[in-house]
Amino acid sequence: MSIDVRTLVSDDGSEISRKVFTSEEVYQLEKKHIFGKNWLYLAHESQFKKPGDFVTTYMGETPVIVAMGDDGEIYASINSCSHRGLPVCRTDMGNSKRFICPYHNWSYKPDGELVTVPQERKVTRPVDKKKNSLRRVPRLESYRGLYFGCLYAGIEPLEDYLGDMRFYLDTFFNRFPNGVEVVGAPHKWLIHANWKLPVENQLGDVGHGPFLHGTLLANTPAMAELENYGFNTVPKPGHGAAVRYMPEDANPADVAWGIEGMAALMGQGEAVREYCLNVQSTAAQRIGENGARVKGLTYGVFPHFSLLWSNSTIRVSHPRGPGQVEYWSWWVVPTDAPEHIREDLRVNYTNFFGPAGLLEQEDSDAWNLQYRGSNIDYMDDVPYNYSLGLGEETTHPDLPGKVGSCYNEHYARQFYIKWREQIEKGEQPS
Amino acid sequence: MTAQATNPHSEAELIPVTAVEIITRVQQFYYREARLLDNRQYQSWLGLLTDDLDYRIPSRFIPTPDPQQRGTEAYHAVDNELERGGPYQAPLRVENVFTLAIRADRAFKVNAWADNPPPRTRRFITNVEVFKTADGYQTYNNFMMTYSRHDNANFTYSGQRRDTLREVDGELKISRREVIHDWNVMAIPTMGLFF
Repeated sequence: MSIDVRTLVSDDGSEISRKVFTSEEVYQLEKKHIFGKNWLYLAHESQFKKPGDFVTTYMGETPVIVAMGDDGEIYASINSCSHRGLPVCRTDMGNSKRFICPYHNWSYKPDGELVTVPQERKVTRPVDKKKNSLRRVPRLESYRGLYFGCLYAGIEPLEDYLGDMRFYLDTFFNRFPNGVEVVGAPHKWLIHANWKLPVENQLGDVGHGPFLHGTLLANTPAMAELENYGFNTVPKPGHGAAVRYMPEDANPADVAWGIEGMAALMGQGEAVREYCLNVQSTAAQRIGENGARVKGLTYGVFPHFSLLWSNSTIRVSHPRGPGQVEYWSWWVVPTDAPEHIREDLRVNYTNFFGPAGLLEQEDSDAWNLQYRGSNIDYMDDVPYNYSLGLGEETTHPDLPGKVGSCYNEHYARQFYIKWREQIEKGEQPS
Repeated sequence: MTAQATNPHSEAELIPVTAVEIITRVQQFYYREARLLDNRQYQSWLGLLTDDLDYRIPSRFIPTPDPQQRGTEAYHAVDNELERGGPYQAPLRVENVFTLAIRADRAFKVNAWADNPPPRTRRFITNVEVFKTADGYQTYNNFMMTYSRHDNANFTYSGQRRDTLREVDGELKISRREVIHDWNVMAIPTMGLFF
């Protein structure tokens, strides 16, 4: 390779080259060593209720079908016909007994098995069905309902990969008595930005809140609470969780108010508050006393899964070259929330985040403008400053991983150090 | 906000308006609305809405058609592609006058970074169909909007609006609007604008 990634990220992660975001050569390395070698979020278990239920998604730029097979198991297959390569599924989600290629109608079962080759009976030699089934994503595992796949068969088990991130994921995905579910199809939009900007934003960049989103967040009780009780944690390098860790003697109502936001002020506000309090009253049974004190904000799993806890949305950053990203965003809701409460909770997602969100439009614009700045080649020798709180992160008696203040950028430093290590290791001759 | 997940008017019940003066009045109403929005008079635009406005933008996805409906128009009905609201769908926006007023007022603050500097927009309203209802009109109309921001970020929006207009003290006001956009992956900077 002609580009040396060691020159792009300083050893302590506090200096990041602009080329990390703009170089086509770097992007090709990322596709190979980042998207090709890590656990990537694919789908949520609530999207599969009966055999044939499926969703389509991407692993990097690789199109994938995730479906429940006739045996009730979940399978992930590459969405490309073995014959001429067309996508065998061209819809976002649904239920189907067969995925049929439009060109010659080769057809496949939800688990990817090739079952019909219509031309076969006109020729002498049959097609080897097993060998010509859809290529299966070699590894698929789930944690708390979240399905992750990996294109590299030799990866460590998902639970080991997540490490202490599991504690933080549990505090949301195991908090509600009957879990959470994803509602509807994802909201998808194209941002002219590098895929890592949305990722680092959700890993722990809560510090931009009162500034970029000043019209709604500056000088609010929410920001005071963040500065008083907020931490940026790195449970394992590459992952991140920004949380408010509420005091042991906090009013339960102040801890329970994790997802209701504006919903508590509108419509059935009283009912929403009561629902959240009910959840909180039994949360410790499911996630322990410490877990129940966690009121999360943003979570990230390396390389591109995010949970914006405070606004009930999970998101994935699908790269489309160095300068474009398809950002996908799903509304997540507690499974047992009554119908009117679900609707009120949605206000907190769609009014603020997603493609029409008041706050999200400011983020999308900032990421686009960052990409413009990264393209100034005269500045290639002036790296970005990622040093806020350098060395100030430490351990915490209750919270796993390294813990820093809510303005400490160690979540990003550790992300880029891991990113550099993986590309370096991948490029070493084996 | 309680959501109504379906279009309140079915096509069969609608009585087309043929009187040119009414159609012209409705068209003039839309042109004036477009001018206010393109001139960034968002607070003035709020004056065109009824207090009980139901404003929504469904999300649009690519569904798997129901084989039972093959051979009929229902097989590919646009409505199959929309998530409008309710507890089991994820629309892009379900708003009322209060939430729209937050957006309108916010746009004029110094630190509303997505509006400062503001985009340059131009709205074109066409294909206006007008139907009579008990206290006003139901319409379909198409819009095209060019959007230009910063020095060279240029985009085009397109879609259909399904409106209910009500006569209030001799003035037309919008009491219901549903905006149907035409993307799967939305190739625009934000859907958080006024359509």
